[in-house]
Amino acid sequence: MDWTSWLVGTVSRALAFGVPLLWGTLGEIYAERSGVVNLGVEGMMILGAYAGFAVAQTLGHPGWGLLAAAGVGALAALWHAFLTVTLRANQYVSGLALTLFGLGLAGLLGRGWEGRPLRAPLGAVAVPVLSDVPVLGPMLFRDQTILTYLGLLLAVVLWVVLFRTRWGIAIRSVGESPATADSLGISVARVRYLCVALGGVLAGVGGGYLSVAYRPAWTEGMTAGMGWIVIALTIFSAWDPLQAIWGAFFFGALYHLSFRLQAYVSPELLKMMPYAFAILVLAASGFGRARWRARAPGALGVPYVRGER
Amino acid sequence: MRKLAIFVMALALVGVLGLGAQRIKAGFIYVGPIGDYGWTHAHDVARRIVDGKYDWLETVYIESVPEGEVETYIDQLVRQGCNVIFTTSFGFMDGTLAAAERYPNVIFAHASGFKRAPNMATYMADFYQVYYLNGLMAGALTKTGKIGYVGAFPIPELKRHISAFTIGVREVNPTATVHVRWIYEWYNPAAAKEATEALIAEGCDVFAFTEDSPTVVQVAAERKFPSFAHYSPMYAFAPDYVVSGQLVHWEEIYDDFLLKIHQGVYTTKNLAHVDYWWLLAQGAAELGAEMGMPINPKYVAPLKGYVVNHPQFGRISVYDLVFLRYNQFADPGITFDPFEGPIYDRKGVLRVPAGMWMSYESLITMEWAAAGIVGPWPGEP
Repeated sequence: MDWTSWLVGTVSRALAFGVPLLWGTLGEIYAERSGVVNLGVEGMMILGAYAGFAVAQTLGHPGWGLLAAAGVGALAALWHAFLTVTLRANQYVSGLALTLFGLGLAGLLGRGWEGRPLRAPLGAVAVPVLSDVPVLGPMLFRDQTILTYLGLLLAVVLWVVLFRTRWGIAIRSVGESPATADSLGISVARVRYLCVALGGVLAGVGGGYLSVAYRPAWTEGMTAGMGWIVIALTIFSAWDPLQAIWGAFFFGALYHLSFRLQAYVSPELLKMMPYAFAILVLAASGFGRARWRARAPGALGVPYVRGER
Repeated sequence: MRKLAIFVMALALVGVLGLGAQRIKAGFIYVGPIGDYGWTHAHDVARRIVDGKYDWLETVYIESVPEGEVETYIDQLVRQGCNVIFTTSFGFMDGTLAAAERYPNVIFAHASGFKRAPNMATYMADFYQVYYLNGLMAGALTKTGKIGYVGAFPIPELKRHISAFTIGVREVNPTATVHVRWIYEWYNPAAAKEATEALIAEGCDVFAFTEDSPTVVQVAAERKFPSFAHYSPMYAFAPDYVVSGQLVHWEEIYDDFLLKIHQGVYTTKNLAHVDYWWLLAQGAAELGAEMGMPINPKYVAPLKGYVVNHPQFGRISVYDLVFLRYNQFADPGITFDPFEGPIYDRKGVLRVPAGMWMSYESLITMEWAAAGIVGPWPGEP
């Protein structure tokens, strides 16, 4: 067995498959850090996938498609923010509704768009010089689109903002104890709106990646449950943007390997592997280490009403 | 006054009988969304074709119906006045049968199953002949001798298709192998993509599949590998790399079935033995990745250039062999079958004795893997 082919194949596929997960998870981390659970990730991703495809196909450039995907994701997220922050509706119900609504609306709008390849897909970039390095080149710098590198950069930037700036303190305090943040003069509603909207933008781009780059075509229901993996990865990463990188790409590697290893291991078992892993992580985070539980935002899932305790 | 009453009654009677014999409201129950560009999409294209063809026919459909809930949706269609109901997934079988007993005056037809009733027929457009033809071409085009195959579920239908495909491959390239990966979903583009990538990493250079999206065709084309389309026209997804494929024409079956109800041939009393098992000869299946184009013109020269020494036909190009076999299938009195014995499975067991063909029963319950298939085969005898 040629170990370099396994290494190169697994890492490069882990990156390519992990990109939408990374973008989605980064967004959900920000929403949840501000105290708002958004189970509508799947819905925002599929709307982003539809909008990305339709606009890139119409205007003939993938950039416009991704921009549209981001915009549509933001709009969908703002709806969730309006319901949960302004109207203080139950976050879980509103998020589930958003997922169902997104899947339905994208399916309806997508009628007639299926069966055609995208005329302007986002291609892979071969990074000059680096892509010619043996092993490392094909592994990291040949089969990736710009969104892989942007996603990595974004994770670092979002980590810095969250843990090293005043904005980050504001976001975390709103998620931890909105009453305290409010008494310090931070607008809880504004912070939550912004974070949820950012979550929508990133989930939208993640969805757009699927229809514009990963597999440049539109078909109904093409996100196929990725939004739910994002929710699990958000917990797995302990609401930390840097850990989200490992989570997304580790899951990507497991997913790819579940097909590669079929020649040696029972496919039914492999099919379970990534999800069994997700359950294990959730169980571990629920049981054991206090550190993990302590990292969950204190006011997660709780609508804020001034003066109530 | 009495004359008028009789006249009105007679008119009403004619009206009722006439309408009863002529008007058909057909309801279709789909398992997936009509935008899947696979199985459900193909049924819906067929529904629209027959709907537009007859003015005595009205159609309605319900999509994405969970398999366990089919009876509820049948109730709904009956309430809406449907007198013919098609259910288009294997998992709808028992629910459809139960509904057929509850509604003896409604005609039912169930796709891909085997249970029937006086008012319930079965129908299926099957592809194993076309898969075999694709296999002939795949065997001629592979350079590494490894052909990749992405399958949805390890069920008899796919096992039959992959084995027929592999028998075709081996007829022109006796040492080539067909490498199989399962995705355990009818529709999941990401899974299909990663399964294809895994096969590419293992050295496969020609691809075929059975799942409901054009993913395999697109991924193979990115790496400049030829592939075979499945179910819907996929030529546009990779005009330089799609060689051929399978296309379905459910409208041929729907047209025949509905017309016979309209003419009074089929009633709620005589369907217990009506089973459509339609293949190339009946026009329910077509060879190609685009309607009317059996082989992509770009691949005609390589296929004509690949000449084999055939035990039956002597020296013959694969291009000619494909059309020779095609004509044998298309002939009303089909003169060849891919599973013509002697056929051994990959464990060396004789499955079809020399000179024999497989029965319909053994085709639809087939679990073994033809020699040349590599990879997991859950349920292998």
